[in-house]
Amino acid sequence: MKLRVLLAAGALALLAPAFSGDRFWLQFLGKAMITCIFAASLDLLVGYAGLVSLAHAAFFGISAYLLAGLSNQLALVNPLLTLPICLLAAAVAALVIGWLSLRATGVYFIMVTLAFTQMLYYFFNDAPGLGGSDGLYVNDRPRLGPLDFADRPTAYAGIWIALVVTYLLLTRVLRAPFGRVLVGIRSNEQRMRSLGFPTPRYKLVAFVIAGALAGLAGYLDATLYGFVNPAQVGWRQSGLLLMTVLLGGKGTLYGPMIGALLLTFIEHYGEQVTTHWNAIVGAFVIAVVLLMPRGIAGLLRGARG
Amino acid sequence: MAEPVLETRGLTRRFGALAAVDGVSLAFAPGEVHAVIGPNGAGKSTLLAMLAGELRATSGSIRLAGRDVTRFSPDRISRLGVGRSYQTANVFGELTCRDCVWLAAQSRVRSSMSFFWPAERYAEVGVRAARALNACRLADRHTTPARELSYGEQRQLEIGMMLATEPRVLLLDEPLAGLGHDEAKQVIALLQAVRADRTLVLVEHDMEAVFAIADRVTVLASGRVLETGTPGQIRLSPRVREAYLGNEP
Amino acid sequence: MTLSLFALQLLNGVEYGLLLFLVASGLTLVFGVLGVLNFAHGSFYMLGAYLAYWLSARFGSLWIAIAVGVPLMVAVGLLVEKLAIARLYARDHLSQVLLTYGLVLLFNELQSYAFGNDVQSVPTPAPLSIRIPLGEAQTWPAYRVFTAVACLVLAAAMRQVILRTRFGMRVRAGASNAEMVSALGIDIRRLFAALFAAGTALAALAGMLAAPLTTVYPGMGEGVLILSFVVVVIGGIGSIKGAFLGALLVGLSDVFGKVLLPGFASAIVYAVMAAVLVLRPRGLLG
Repeated sequence: MKLRVLLAAGALALLAPAFSGDRFWLQFLGKAMITCIFAASLDLLVGYAGLVSLAHAAFFGISAYLLAGLSNQLALVNPLLTLPICLLAAAVAALVIGWLSLRATGVYFIMVTLAFTQMLYYFFNDAPGLGGSDGLYVNDRPRLGPLDFADRPTAYAGIWIALVVTYLLLTRVLRAPFGRVLVGIRSNEQRMRSLGFPTPRYKLVAFVIAGALAGLAGYLDATLYGFVNPAQVGWRQSGLLLMTVLLGGKGTLYGPMIGALLLTFIEHYGEQVTTHWNAIVGAFVIAVVLLMPRGIAGLLRGARG
Repeated sequence: MAEPVLETRGLTRRFGALAAVDGVSLAFAPGEVHAVIGPNGAGKSTLLAMLAGELRATSGSIRLAGRDVTRFSPDRISRLGVGRSYQTANVFGELTCRDCVWLAAQSRVRSSMSFFWPAERYAEVGVRAARALNACRLADRHTTPARELSYGEQRQLEIGMMLATEPRVLLLDEPLAGLGHDEAKQVIALLQAVRADRTLVLVEHDMEAVFAIADRVTVLASGRVLETGTPGQIRLSPRVREAYLGNEP
Repeated sequence: MTLSLFALQLLNGVEYGLLLFLVASGLTLVFGVLGVLNFAHGSFYMLGAYLAYWLSARFGSLWIAIAVGVPLMVAVGLLVEKLAIARLYARDHLSQVLLTYGLVLLFNELQSYAFGNDVQSVPTPAPLSIRIPLGEAQTWPAYRVFTAVACLVLAAAMRQVILRTRFGMRVRAGASNAEMVSALGIDIRRLFAALFAAGTALAALAGMLAAPLTTVYPGMGEGVLILSFVVVVIGGIGSIKGAFLGALLVGLSDVFGKVLLPGFASAIVYAVMAAVLVLRPRGLLG
């Protein structure tokens, strides 16, 4: 109960920049919230289904690039059209990649998801007309009547709504019978099968749901920045995202979101401190794995109980 | 015998050159308690795993109520009414007893591809789960995480989970293994209570238990069926004595 | 395509595949026996290449560089195992992926700090810079013959060690049941450390051998790592023979892909992997 109050308070606090119009906070917290959506969707896979997927960045990128394409090539700006199309594309990609990847189990699953992510990275980086390593601009950002999402506060409000909807949706799904099955699979997949659950099917559905939400994050990112590039699809992105899940505490939904906020802060200020920023991130990741395996949420739970 | 509820014909499983199960043909009658015994390495657990669909047969067939299920996946076989318990307690450690049984019950009552309403809302599942918990005598421990149960209690929970799926056929792999005398008696009583209208295939080492509840006994040795008969017949059989090399049943 | 051009690509593909095999076998041994997925494996390849560059520049000879570099990398492997990998043996996949990912970031910075970000070239050792003619128009560098032969010799040596020595027997036992091996009193910790160091050295050696061919550049480890993953998935779970086959297949697909379908070269390897996943999910020899 207290948790819900805290989360609601946090959500309301996040709404503040939309009213203050502060340019820096709008961009910064906008990015942070997008990462929250991204991280929460990955937690569905990692924390609840027990699937460590490195493919998540791929669905982010597919959706983002598709928005750029729809805007630049087809002059589509109505989000009521472009959003469903991009989400569908991400979901279909997740269906295909998920189906193929889930045929491998354990570490092999992880390897395959990484391989497909890299394949897409090379595609976005090398294919002609996609801007190469520089990426693409989104010429016309989503517009719906009086709402122009190129306008920062409007985009921010849209992102905020998306985050709240995502969180409510995921909590719903996880409390439903489907969510229970996922937890059972994570706990003891063999037992679930011998109880009559066709576990591959459930894992695939989780993969698709998570992939679609990753696509949502990608769409919002392209809207906020007006820009897409292949680096968003690389395995570094996937790795950093996994990091937010571990840092925040997997299997809690709110944990990875806290992790996402934290990492956005750290990344932003860290880059200004030193050029050898990667070493610090690397050391930080190692420290978290060794010292805080249950993440921030784990610490909070320990403090409470 | 009336139409067997479960039967195997020439069932074989090889690991390289070794035949763990070799040409086993057995028929399990509906409603019977059928024990499978034999010295270590006889292939009993392998046979059970094959019946449950967890291990693929190299050759031979398995028929469930006349239907060929040889190549079926474990979940499909489970859905056809076969329950399975393992040699070591195989539960969901982090879940409470109630949630463990809940999951088992949920597998039957409706499709779990249900995303919107909270699971608790499905009252039928709760009823089934409560029934199963009562049957396995763990109703008072229902909020305890499964990993905090004693070994014997985890065995009971396993049986409870199996019961929640309301199987017609129960495959039990050494349900009494590792249990003390009193705990074993509890489990035997439990099995006696649930055997009505069900067929039990019981792999066991505990001879006292086997002879207490089994209608028929099959002895396996080196992957092959040595003999099948009533407990009395098996006890007197010279071939069986020889296979056990002096282990008096 | 002329016959000599075909032969050239065939040889290139096989040679590339053999190098990949060296890297992939180290990877397979580590997670097959130790149960740890090591993303930093590609970094060892890269470190090997950079060591080859630095030491051969210092000592004027690639041979000396290899002779000094390999023991050095064995030491690095032992150190990394003791400090980092050993803590991962009981941990879940997420922790393993992230910790070794952190190592990759650290190694990348180390390389950037110590050697800079320029592309470096390593000269081919003199006696091997000759080119062997293939038919009328094509030649093949003798150095590639050397690397291919070296990889084959190492592969055969590995096979002998695994099948015929006591160490190899412990490795195979450890791969099926580490707990049992430990219960038998064999020091599993030392076995693991030795194995990890061996895997590290294999990857590094591959990097050293490849350095004159591919040049030495930042990020060279990542491409190789991912291809090693593809090799392992194609070749089959727990099978070194499968890794060998998979590596050759990947090497040939990559080389022929670049020649026949230049735009889609990198995609071909992944398409092969996808096909294997559909038809034989446990890999060709899994």
